Amino acid sequence: MLETRRGLVLRGLGLSLGGRMVLRDISLDVAPGEVVSLEGPSGAGKTSLLRAAAGLLPHAGQVLADGGRPALVFQQHALAGRLTARGNVLVGALGRLGFWRPALGVWPAAEVAAAESCLARVGLAGLGGRRAAHLSGGQRQRVAIARALLQRAPVLLADEPVASLDPANAEAILTLLRGLAREGGLAILVSLHQPELARRFADRRLRIAEGHLWET
Amino acid sequence: MRRLLWLLVLAAFYAACIALVQPDLPRLWAGLPRLLRWLAGAFPPDFSGLPDLLRRAAETVAIATLGTSLAALLALPLTLLAARPVAPLPALYHPARGLLDALRGIDGFVFALIFVAAVGLGPFAGMLGIALHSAGSIAKLWSEALETADFAPVEAALSAGGSRAQAAAVVLLPETLPQTASALLYVWEFNIRASTVLGLVGAGGLGQELKNAVDLLDFARVLAILIIIVALVLAADRLSVLLRRRLA
Repeated sequence: MLETRRGLVLRGLGLSLGGRMVLRDISLDVAPGEVVSLEGPSGAGKTSLLRAAAGLLPHAGQVLADGGRPALVFQQHALAGRLTARGNVLVGALGRLGFWRPALGVWPAAEVAAAESCLARVGLAGLGGRRAAHLSGGQRQRVAIARALLQRAPVLLADEPVASLDPANAEAILTLLRGLAREGGLAILVSLHQPELARRFADRRLRIAEGHLWET
Repeated sequence: MRRLLWLLVLAAFYAACIALVQPDLPRLWAGLPRLLRWLAGAFPPDFSGLPDLLRRAAETVAIATLGTSLAALLALPLTLLAARPVAPLPALYHPARGLLDALRGIDGFVFALIFVAAVGLGPFAGMLGIALHSAGSIAKLWSEALETADFAPVEAALSAGGSRAQAAAVVLLPETLPQTASALLYVWEFNIRASTVLGLVGAGGLGQELKNAVDLLDFARVLAILIIIVALVLAADRLSVLLRRRLA
């Protein structure tokens, strides 16, 4: 039985895609307040590991996360371009709402206020009414993080959140994620391509290759 | 060799078509003076009783509008069942596809004919006929729009704990609105054209007046009705293009 506030615990995670073993017996722990980076070459299994941990891919082994379902920040934002920034963030609240109110666009006032607060936390106060398609790359990534925050999951997974950003924006996003871990107590597992950013922002660094994971 | 084979197949197909249709140029030639006589008699077009014609034109627009709206309501559940990314029951995917293909396969004219027998003469039967056929067309266009949409925001909604129905309603439908609204306008515009002939089977609209005029060989009246039909179709076409451009 998982104790409260253990963060993220993966045990014996295995995944096969198209007959190829992508993840082999992966085990790892990310404590609350900790940022752990996941590094490795393209195709090494970083995205698969995060998607399996988020419950988007059927897998072998156990995923135990505080709060049940980890929040996932997708690599290419995965925002709905025609929705506003606020509308995209509110998608993070769907798990605790019924069908009709969100479907009719009549969101509970408390959720709208929470969405605005999440936008303010990621530095986008006042931009809630702007369509996602009209935001810059860095702003979209912030909206994606705000959406994950509104999910109120104590565990946050981020798949290459700075891959498409310029160095200044990349640094700002990673500073934001580290702040969320330090101040909000989130357990964060983030895949990164750039070792120097991992060195600076992660508390621990993991490397994945050919489905195997080890600490660097 | 392969090309020759294709040409032979094509030639055989055309030969079969010609055998079935039996085009007869001498018959056309013989009928031409009659056609020309009718054409000459059609001028000037007879616009007497214009208010009646305009009421029939309005009836045509109403049949198309209500028929398309009812079709959209019928198409919505069919679309959700027949679009792979949101289909809640994969077992119903192929039956739903089959049903919408069947609805599309039977012309609104044929459905109207059946509804005239079932509910009596008039525009109501026409509206039902249009609705049933169009539901299949709209569901096909909508399900294709959903299937080709960016699935990533839907996946984000699912990963946030949302249900497939929530993801479809909150993310997918607004994202595909330009395509789905455009498809709806296109079907409406098509239905305006289709509704102009529904009267031939007693299902209301301008076609009713057209049939009466043809039966009486009153070609001046026929020409007046054809002018109104062309004006109506062009106006619907312009309006549809204008609205679709705004949606893009």
